[in-house]
Amino acid sequence: MKNLEFFKNLSIGQYIDSGSKIHAFSASTKYLMLACLALPALVAPTFFGTLLSGFAALFIASASGVRPLFLIRGIKPALPLFFVAAFLQFLFGWQGDESPVFFKLGPIAATAREAWIALMVVARTASMILVLGLFTALTTEGEAARGIEEAFAPLSKIGVKAHRLSLSVVMALRFVPIVTGELEALAKAQASRGADFGSGKGGPLKKARAYLPLFVPVTIRALERAELLAEAMEARCYSGEGRTRYVRPRPSFGEIVFRLASIAFCAALLAVDVLIIRAWIRPW
Amino acid sequence: MALLELNRLSFRYPESSVDALRSISLEIPEASYVAIVGKNGSGKSTLLRLLNGLRLPSSGSVKVRGLDTASQENLHRIRSDLCLVFQSPPDQLVSSVVEEDVAFGPENLGLAPEEVRRRVDDALRRVGLEEERRRPTGFLSAGQQQRLAVAGALAMKPRCVAFDEATSMLDPAARVAILDLMDDLVSRGIAVIHVTHDMSEAARARRILVLEKGNLVFDGSPDALFGSDSDDFCAEDSLYPRAIAFGLDLPPAVSLALQLGLRPIARENAQGIAARIAGNFHAFPSGALRTVGPGATAPGIALLGSEASGTARPGAAASNWPLRASVTGTIPIPEAQSPAFVLEGASYVYLKATTNERKAISGLSFELPRGATLALVGRTGSGKSTALQLMNALAAPTSGKVLSFGIETTDKNADLKRLRTRAPLAIQRPESALFETYAGDDVAFGPRNLGLFGPRLIERVKKWMDAVALPYEAWRDRPIRSLSGGEKRKLVLAGVFALESDALLLDEPTSALDPAAKAELLGLLSAIGSSGKTLVTATHSMEEAARADFIAVFSGGDLAAFGSPAYVFYDAYDPAWEIGKPFAACVTEELKRQGFAFGGPSASGCERPLDLTSLISLLMRTMPSPETVPPPAAGIPLTAETALPPAAAMVGLQAGGGSA
Repeated sequence: MKNLEFFKNLSIGQYIDSGSKIHAFSASTKYLMLACLALPALVAPTFFGTLLSGFAALFIASASGVRPLFLIRGIKPALPLFFVAAFLQFLFGWQGDESPVFFKLGPIAATAREAWIALMVVARTASMILVLGLFTALTTEGEAARGIEEAFAPLSKIGVKAHRLSLSVVMALRFVPIVTGELEALAKAQASRGADFGSGKGGPLKKARAYLPLFVPVTIRALERAELLAEAMEARCYSGEGRTRYVRPRPSFGEIVFRLASIAFCAALLAVDVLIIRAWIRPW
Repeated sequence: MALLELNRLSFRYPESSVDALRSISLEIPEASYVAIVGKNGSGKSTLLRLLNGLRLPSSGSVKVRGLDTASQENLHRIRSDLCLVFQSPPDQLVSSVVEEDVAFGPENLGLAPEEVRRRVDDALRRVGLEEERRRPTGFLSAGQQQRLAVAGALAMKPRCVAFDEATSMLDPAARVAILDLMDDLVSRGIAVIHVTHDMSEAARARRILVLEKGNLVFDGSPDALFGSDSDDFCAEDSLYPRAIAFGLDLPPAVSLALQLGLRPIARENAQGIAARIAGNFHAFPSGALRTVGPGATAPGIALLGSEASGTARPGAAASNWPLRASVTGTIPIPEAQSPAFVLEGASYVYLKATTNERKAISGLSFELPRGATLALVGRTGSGKSTALQLMNALAAPTSGKVLSFGIETTDKNADLKRLRTRAPLAIQRPESALFETYAGDDVAFGPRNLGLFGPRLIERVKKWMDAVALPYEAWRDRPIRSLSGGEKRKLVLAGVFALESDALLLDEPTSALDPAAKAELLGLLSAIGSSGKTLVTATHSMEEAARADFIAVFSGGDLAAFGSPAYVFYDAYDPAWEIGKPFAACVTEELKRQGFAFGGPSASGCERPLDLTSLISLLMRTMPSPETVPPPAAGIPLTAETALPPAAAMVGLQAGGGSA
């Protein structure tokens, strides 16, 4: 029997207060870190840049008192997505793909180029989960909102509503644990009445199929929770405009060093990957 | 200027054809303490949302300190003057860190950071959460989360805080903390409006509003509703408080006073009523108690001391279940029966080997015979829900073992589906346990998984929807989203009952139900228990727990006590558990403390009452003969103010089932 603990494999959206110096950094520093790690994870042309940004996230986690295993576990719920992504890559061929064909099965042909792209998708997604998990483990929702408002404040002159943007991002992050909690409660309610959850029996497809009936009620519950949250915020005078900030920290010397190191890491990683590694590997 | 002015206020939901509130007019002055009571769906929560401008009147007006809620530009001011604390703690917290959540409101008011910080510090100090300021809100207990919600309101420096059933999901200790906080607010000149189903809580207010189907049917003092200053109380056509006419519950002290023929006093507690019983015992129709004076024999005391620690549920099988009064002791099981549940050193660590690892229960050991009823009590987070999940095989113990009807839940060959449906669990939050679109389909989910279909399935669904007072024909096609909280809870229970299992595991099945719905459900559970099903219920109500055969007391993840209700509440009781006691037990203990002894020539059987009927029965049984009645030695002297006319006294006694 497997325990129905969905939070066990959830890293995104869970703030972990270890009281480290990195936790005390301002939101803008943490956003900068997020950008410097996410950029190579998303655009680096080879595994080198992509995976190294993920490892960097694990290193920073370790330095800030967050267990790296906590972040790695967060990849597990995305595993079915990896299979779907790979399947789609193989299903739809690339025009002019002349790379070696590994096997062909009806309309599906697995070429080296497709395999490369599928693996890159997996690596990018996994790294992004590590990076986002690190960011939310280090950043409270309030800080996240303040960071976005600060970053986009100059654009208010051209009509950009920074507070709305920050609210959207913060709510998206906040709802990851809320949806997970609802999913767990519904799975338990169904399992208690004879649905097949947590028995550990059956293949991955059977297990995945068991979760399909949960999507609609979980979505509805998430919307209901969103309504309740909106009501609670409205009741506390939230309108988005004219808000002040609870904390207005000034960056310390260590924080400035961290910012510079983040930028240097990102630039170096992309440069090495684009100029050296890519030329050496030459993917299709 | 009044704090609140409601002028012919009516409200109708867009999708509804009837008014949720009808032509309500009233004024609430500053620093008031007002309770709002009424059945589920009577319009209480809607009224609160109208007060704070979250809803706008269909007709009429609401003014807060002279500002009309219909005017958009007033809302900022109105919402900072009148703050809401909602029923469900996690649904109202907008930030993931304690101090940020408190700061949310002041930040929205555009206050300077220094002022926000001052208010946050002050609010956290007043609710006692200073130590938790950097903690994630998700890791606070329900009681702490509710106190945090109050802190968020206080940081707005409001003139009024309105609580919407804010205590209904809390354990007794957390509930007391919130009620004390309300008293504190009122003493500081901040008005409190408290929506509640608990009449003892309502009686603490200075004014009570009763809503019935959207109409304001009563507006007066608690004494006018429950007690002695009602003009109607002694009128020939009505010997009962008005509350009864509105279908409301009575505070237990009022109920007891009525049944003893004493004048009911709305705010009276166990000490008060005990003192009055002690003071008036000689004036009861034949006397009920006697004092223990120097040199007097005290057969009642001797009887109390000699009684066995365990008591049995009425019934032949139950009489074979003597208990050993030990936290790790087990119940000897009659040879013919195997136990329904066996827990042997069961421990569970939530999110084991993760950053958020938390011990839920440790070393839990007990056995529960088939057909027995067990109540799990303890503070929020003490391990009750985890124990239910272990028994339901939803969770595997991290150490130790759990057997459900003789099968170990972690056995690889165990049929989990069979185990779970043999003892299904109704989880705590009903809205998270319903997943179909229509009510009938949700109830059918379990029986369908058991292989039922066609007419048999329909018959099964109909049977149990009817049983929970959601008649199949009328309710089967109702969208679940349209149901009220109480209706959702009943539907969840119908879905679990429809499995017709050997055991039922229910996690706080009556919380947030109105008194009538609660009584209905308890009656149904009693009938199910009597039919031989094993029933395990987690509850914060000690009155409900006292109805079970056994009680397991959880404290910090450990089993603090296990035994009969009389054993738990009289012999082993430890205030450190913070679970409270049934009112009848409180009165009995108080009488004993005041030096009175129960017993007498006709006394026999259990002398440790756990409900009012047993207490009154005991008082009646232990009445001394008139010639041995001594003069009153303690308590409040019997006066015209505290005693009822003989006719009222007789009616009260008959209503309580006692005989003179």
